[in-house]
Amino acid sequence: MVFFGIDIGSTATKGTLVNHNGDIVYTTVEAIGTGTKGSARVTERVQEFAAQQGVSIQMTMATGYGRFSYVEGGLQKSEISCHAKGMFYLLPNVRTIIDIGGQDVKAIRLNNKGQIVNFVMNDKCAAGTGRFIETMAKVIDVPLAQFGDLAVQAVSVASISSTCTVFAESEVVSKMSTGISIPNLIAGIHASVARRVVGLVRRNGIEPDIALSGGVSLNMGIVTALEEELHAPLFVSPFSQVAGSLGAALYAKELFEKGNGKTL
Amino acid sequence: MTEQKAEKPKRELPLSRQLVNKQTEDVYASAWAAKEKGESIGWSTAIFPQELCETFDVPVLYPENNAASISARHFGNQFIEHAEGEMKYPINICSYARLNMGMADMMKNGKFEGVEPAMPLPTFLCLANNSCTQLMKWYENLSENLSIPIFFVDCLFNYNEEEPDAYKNKYVRSQIENNIAAMEKFFNKKFDWNRFLEVQRISQVNRKLFNEIVALNTRMPAPLDGFDLFNYMSCLVICRGKESTTEILKQLKKEVEEHIANGTSTFRGTEEYRVHWEGIACWPNLGFNLKTLRKYGVNAVMNGYVTAWDVAYEPGDLNGMAKAYQCSSTNSFSTPSIMDMRSKSMKKFACDGMLCHVNRSCKLMSFHIFTGRDIIEARNKIPIVNFDGDQSDTRVFSEAQFENRLQGLVEVMKENKGGK
Repeated sequence: MVFFGIDIGSTATKGTLVNHNGDIVYTTVEAIGTGTKGSARVTERVQEFAAQQGVSIQMTMATGYGRFSYVEGGLQKSEISCHAKGMFYLLPNVRTIIDIGGQDVKAIRLNNKGQIVNFVMNDKCAAGTGRFIETMAKVIDVPLAQFGDLAVQAVSVASISSTCTVFAESEVVSKMSTGISIPNLIAGIHASVARRVVGLVRRNGIEPDIALSGGVSLNMGIVTALEEELHAPLFVSPFSQVAGSLGAALYAKELFEKGNGKTL
Repeated sequence: MTEQKAEKPKRELPLSRQLVNKQTEDVYASAWAAKEKGESIGWSTAIFPQELCETFDVPVLYPENNAASISARHFGNQFIEHAEGEMKYPINICSYARLNMGMADMMKNGKFEGVEPAMPLPTFLCLANNSCTQLMKWYENLSENLSIPIFFVDCLFNYNEEEPDAYKNKYVRSQIENNIAAMEKFFNKKFDWNRFLEVQRISQVNRKLFNEIVALNTRMPAPLDGFDLFNYMSCLVICRGKESTTEILKQLKKEVEEHIANGTSTFRGTEEYRVHWEGIACWPNLGFNLKTLRKYGVNAVMNGYVTAWDVAYEPGDLNGMAKAYQCSSTNSFSTPSIMDMRSKSMKKFACDGMLCHVNRSCKLMSFHIFTGRDIIEARNKIPIVNFDGDQSDTRVFSEAQFENRLQGLVEVMKENKGGK
């Protein structure tokens, strides 16, 4: 018996299966998000895995911006609750969670039971979001996956003063024309995101441990930039990328145990 | 055979709402009738001492209320675009101001598209800066553009205390008296002090009735969908000193008491959560916000905006009236005082959470949103969420972001209630 959580974000789709003990048994990530075939592909892979293992998916919970259009299972929960659930499961000492999503940045504060005390999200502006980093990756023509490694090579941090994605794009272009190296530019992009994100996190109050959730946690350049801005360590789990779908799977399990839900 | 989709029958409005609509129609009709006769018509800020023009029996319309109506009907963009384009006003100023200045300029130049509710151009302006200081530049524009006078009441900010200094009240009182004298000349009419006393009395009856009705929403479940208060408050904005408002509010109170007796509510669905709505409505998104709140069983039972017209004083006491106008808007108070009122109100209304509209246009109301939420969180121990929006500018609000934040809030409120 397994429980399926799917996080259909604006830029990627993540899936996680947990068993009746709540152990993670399978995770998968598709680099396309809501409105694409991402959710279908993740679902297909998850169902294939379950079939291979001879286990049945008892309940499915969707989260992320695409959750309302996901019909399988019919259950959905906000990614605020799901990231909180998933990260608390992975790192029980976490009290402040940062999630840099494709179009939303979240700062979530938890109590020692993992319950959400309060949360804040960015305003209607792409600055500090995953989309900002993606846009910059296109401008400098470097795959996003290489950002973390290249940032380590930076000898200085280029100053990106614009917080607006559109203005920052032209600022980066002009800096490239002055010969600033790609690693320095990437470090500057990370610093720009970190300033914006930490400003938001401070609004919600910071209590250690602080952890990073979501796909951006794979980028060590961002992690370092955030730590510098926070003046505190930032914890990352190997499963941080799928924390939203993990939380959704755990909610599905809880709901099933309460006997309230439907079976897939 | 072609299958015809049956049109959804319109839900009949309660009598009180029908009376509000009729009252609004009558107010606009009397202004248009005055225009036909070449008589005086005023445009006024929302918390100007309405008792003066009511006593003179001169029709007055309220651009803030009009901008809200036009925005709720999704007609505002053309005026906002005109203000930003041809009139060269920046996006950062109040969207009510942009909408109204754009509309006035288009009307003046014969480019008006006949959007309802349409106000005739004014022959004079009434301006009080107790709720917002940006109003002064807005009305300066109208005055210059339309070549008409302003009757101004300059209210001083209560920067270090909540009880205004005596000199501040004296200052406001003397301005009211000067305005009466100036209006006598402008309207060529004698000010009837007996009628003034009667208008003051009616105004007090109306504000007390409204407060009583709002207080009834402390009942659980609330007899009113909190968003209804946004509709009924228009009576206090545009007709605070009229007997027609007394009739409407008496009828509304009767309906609310019937709801309480019958265990019913105008809130459609089950009230699972009660929240305080901070700030002005997002008028262009009112329908979406209402439906989304209902979808999650959330009743915004109370908000800090609808009580802004609670101008309390003893009829016949001009000093008291001056003081009331000096400090009627919460915008004239310090952040700790505003949040103290909110905190008490949220306890009284048993709110499970707070939903803060970060109104892009209104700097004054957005200024304290984040520090305010810290105060409320510490005192009331409830979750608070903020979302971006605007009172009239449609470019700011995002439906997906609103729903996402609301659902997050609901999930925290549910957890706080033990998952029930």
